[in-house]
Amino acid sequence: MQLEVRLYATLREHAPAGAIAGVFFLSLPDGVTVKELLDEIGISEEKVHMRMVNGVGVADGHVLKDNDRVGLFPPVGGG
Amino acid sequence: MTREDSLSQLKSGIMPERYRRNLGTIGIAGQRSLLNAKVAIVGAGGLGGHVIELLARQGVGHLKVFDGDCFAAHNLNRQVLATEKTMGMNKALAAAARVSEINPDVRVTAVSQMLEASGAAEWLSGMDVVVDALDTISSRRMLLQAARDVRIPLVHAAIAGFTGQVATVFPDDRAIDALFARQTDSDRGIESVLGNPATTPAVAAALQAQEVVKLITGIGQPLSSKLLYFDLEYNLFEIIQMPEGSKSLCEK
Repeated sequence: MQLEVRLYATLREHAPAGAIAGVFFLSLPDGVTVKELLDEIGISEEKVHMRMVNGVGVADGHVLKDNDRVGLFPPVGGG
Repeated sequence: MTREDSLSQLKSGIMPERYRRNLGTIGIAGQRSLLNAKVAIVGAGGLGGHVIELLARQGVGHLKVFDGDCFAAHNLNRQVLATEKTMGMNKALAAAARVSEINPDVRVTAVSQMLEASGAAEWLSGMDVVVDALDTISSRRMLLQAARDVRIPLVHAAIAGFTGQVATVFPDDRAIDALFARQTDSDRGIESVLGNPATTPAVAAALQAQEVVKLITGIGQPLSSKLLYFDLEYNLFEIIQMPEGSKSLCEK
């Protein structure tokens, strides 16, 4: 299946070469979870504060589907 | 023109001149609601300074501002209340002075100390809305609990680098808890690496002030159970639906 991955702010450093604005496409076997996607990209869990799939917040165990749009966000706390 | 004059004009269906440009959106009924509203702003730094400035201009009648910090030179790049003149001054007191220069209709209660968990509910009692303009995760969590205790909506924002997030939380809305739930080593986010440049707090604070105006006037739709995340480096804006029963988000 094909996934659209969007990495924000400090997580963009994990995007493959050639990705623009932290956005890239990835082909992975069916049934992959968000956690397995993180492993594939090489991002450790604690660096990610929020995971979004098609605009909805999800947990690491969420099973991804073909054409899902996955956003990964680092923690933001300043004022 | 005094505050009483403004209220009296609004009661007679006349928009006071200082609010004339609000007529097409806020309207007379909305302006009356704003002038009678009580909003607490916790933190008068990067976010809070802009929120206070905007709410004072918009004509929110009562502002209660909390901050125990004093302005220092490293605030000057982004905090609108930090000026060469206010260096060393308490931030809440500087906010009160600034509002008096903008709009005498607005009454400011300046509290020159940090809001503590023990007295928080008492301090927030009687307020219509509270604005989270804090800068640590633990203090934000404390404020959220206090807002729930007194059953008023909270308007959250947090910033780091060119990114920020904004959400409105109603007392029974648990979806936002996921934002503060994840335990990390640090009480701060990626701002400890990226810092806080000038424009990000202004953008986040403008969105927060607009949420406050929506809550008070009933105009439009607040970001309830939703988080608006923006990344100004690439002009990315995402609205994330936070699922009900947020505990599922915290499972490892």
